[in-house]
Amino acid sequence: MFDTLVQDFEAETGHSAQVNFAGSALLARQIELGAPVDVFVSANQQWMDHLEAVGRVDSANRFPLAGNRLALVSSFPEDKSREVETVLSSLEAADRVAMGLVAAVPAGQYGKVALEYLGLWGDLRDRVVQMDNVRAALTLVHLGETRLAVVYETDAESQPDVFLVGLFPPESHPRIEYPAAAVGQSPTKATLDFIVFLQSDATKSRLEQFGFGPVKP
Amino acid sequence: MLEVQARHRFTEFELNVDFAASNGITVLFGPSGSGKSTIANLVAGLLRPQDGRVVLGDRVLSDRQHDIWVPPHRRRIGYVFQDARLLPHLTVRKNLLYGRWFAKVRSNPEEFTHVVALLGLQSLLERRPAHLSGGEKQRVAIGRALLSKPDLIIADEPLAALDQARKAEILPYFERLRDEISTPMLYVSHSSSEVSRLASTVVTLSGGRVLQQGDPASVFGDPAILPMGPRGAGSVLDVVVVRQHSDGLTELSAGGQPLFVPHTPHAVGTSVSVRIAAHDVILARKLPEEISALNIVPGVVTQIHKGDGPGAMVALQSQAGRFLARVTQRSVQRLNLAPGTDCFAIIKSVAIAPRDIH
Amino acid sequence: MQNWLSPMEWQAVLISAKVAFWATLAITPMAFLTAYALVRWEFPGKTILNGLAHLPLILPPVVTGYMLLLLFGTQGFIGGWLQDIGIVLAFRWTGAAVAAGVMAFPLMVRALRLSLEAIDIRLEQAAATLGASPIWVFATVTVPLMIPGLLTGTILSFAKALGEFGATITFAANIPGQTQTIPSAIYALLQVPGQEDAAARLVVISVSIALAALFLSEALARRAHKRLEGL
Repeated sequence: MFDTLVQDFEAETGHSAQVNFAGSALLARQIELGAPVDVFVSANQQWMDHLEAVGRVDSANRFPLAGNRLALVSSFPEDKSREVETVLSSLEAADRVAMGLVAAVPAGQYGKVALEYLGLWGDLRDRVVQMDNVRAALTLVHLGETRLAVVYETDAESQPDVFLVGLFPPESHPRIEYPAAAVGQSPTKATLDFIVFLQSDATKSRLEQFGFGPVKP
Repeated sequence: MLEVQARHRFTEFELNVDFAASNGITVLFGPSGSGKSTIANLVAGLLRPQDGRVVLGDRVLSDRQHDIWVPPHRRRIGYVFQDARLLPHLTVRKNLLYGRWFAKVRSNPEEFTHVVALLGLQSLLERRPAHLSGGEKQRVAIGRALLSKPDLIIADEPLAALDQARKAEILPYFERLRDEISTPMLYVSHSSSEVSRLASTVVTLSGGRVLQQGDPASVFGDPAILPMGPRGAGSVLDVVVVRQHSDGLTELSAGGQPLFVPHTPHAVGTSVSVRIAAHDVILARKLPEEISALNIVPGVVTQIHKGDGPGAMVALQSQAGRFLARVTQRSVQRLNLAPGTDCFAIIKSVAIAPRDIH
Repeated sequence: MQNWLSPMEWQAVLISAKVAFWATLAITPMAFLTAYALVRWEFPGKTILNGLAHLPLILPPVVTGYMLLLLFGTQGFIGGWLQDIGIVLAFRWTGAAVAAGVMAFPLMVRALRLSLEAIDIRLEQAAATLGASPIWVFATVTVPLMIPGLLTGTILSFAKALGEFGATITFAANIPGQTQTIPSAIYALLQVPGQEDAAARLVVISVSIALAALFLSEALARRAHKRLEGL
């Protein structure tokens, strides 16, 4: 997905950009320790806040790039036609719910908040299988090892044998936004060009094409 | 009584033997590669012969035709290996008692005490094998084999890995074994001095076949039997140390016949054996005069064996015993030697090295 | 120690110890059999067995974990059958032990194999001539002489099981109080800014356990060596 954006950017401006994909925690730590990075796009507000706090990111150069929604997926086709709350509150004894680490991975943290909001966390907490990232949670549903997984809307349709039950209500969890920012206090011209590009309408329509929601509904 | 009939083919060597061994020490004698150790291994059951049978007393240990095979651990054959092979994780005492666990008739404490005393192991009992010298290890290995109460003891060149001093240390123990323990022993060796000291019977081997079997004196006095080749041929004389001379020579007496050899540390009055290599003996028809050699022994030719080359082996009977001289066939003709001829054997003192005297 | 660590960290330590202990215990007989077969027996498929035994050493741990999930998961070929007889591995500490055991297996096999190869078969022959049957030879000669290798293998495997992360998290997940071991707890802590202190505490514990295991193995190996070499 992000590759496409970078290609668009290179085609439009003639700049060239290198992309390094990794988990938010790892990238943020690298940036904090001085890695030569110009732009940081994260799935995790906490890490962007942290970089701002240590002075590696200026709040003036930070903006929300895209929004996402929390979704419930199932390995049972019949769950497709049911409500999220119904499915979650009528589980069989052996059914489990895969999530990202509820204390560490954003999708897990949002998921826990949403389940608490729905009043289901108390019943479900012992059924939750926590994985180190949300894609691993999705894989468990794909393999049928867990019946359900709490994932991002954008992940929900990407796996075969995984059925979307539905989205969690927006008010059940904090707004999910992917922040982006120029790194360092004095960005270069090329960096600023990329920042401008990421905020353009072309980028927005690209992101919507991949299923990401608008940043301010 | 041990009977061995076996045939076994290796890629470059074929063993084909048939012999019997009775009580006492039977020495399998021959150069390396003659098949001695192979025989030891197939008697012990460490090697399965392609054909043949091995019978120990009234027990058939292996018989190809009748498909009989007794595995090594049920043969009751104590094996003293060249390299001792003590179990490194056990003390000397536990090594000695190892076979006791499995023996049908267990050795009693008196036997243990007796064997320990016989082999001088008292001070070594609590040590581990790594703390022992080569000679000590070999003594423990002998004791270990004895205490497993075997019907037969096999010793496969038990002295070959030891230096001269250690050999001299161990040999007497084998002599005591022969004289004090009734268990028969199959002793593998390529050393004629070991044969001369230990053997009740000697089986000479060459190229995987038995050359001759008999008592050591007759086997070694026969010029036709040269298991070690003509260069290794020699005779062994039983002698007594008579006097240490001030010029560094030791005087020996071989049945009354004086022999002068370079200084040997044995005390006056001890019985030792001296090996005289056949190629160190010169023959003369008349008593030579003004000659440097100190030892001139009168004797009678008993046998002459012509070799394939120019050499001949002449056996002599003398007051000192039987011995061999290796000369050329031309000399045999020139001196007109034949069985019954009187002649003199001339032996240089310095040709006899300390290691030839035990 | 319980005051110094949070309950979640303390739990991770206990689970790690439990997982590593059972993983090591469970693989020891299997690794012994594998090493013995590889050194002493001739059979078709020996190369394949050798390759399989070493596979966890070569594959990325995540792949090993994924293969375990495919085989031993509730939907898996073996896992489904195990579930029928009441054994569930996935997402349980037992699953973490299986993952850790599989990852430690090659190390144990290697250590045992080296020690078995070092044994002089002629010593076993000597024991046989003294009347020991093959089983007795095995019990009184082969096994005692393998003890140094067994010690090395056990301690190495225990340390590996303690530190295993990739296969464990993939197969057994990262469930606090159930499958969260020290490394997965450290990983989780590092995912959130500001939890470096807690992570550091667990790192200190890991390092202490590893060093203690190493010293113990050195000491035991020295003793075993002394017994054999008499130095």
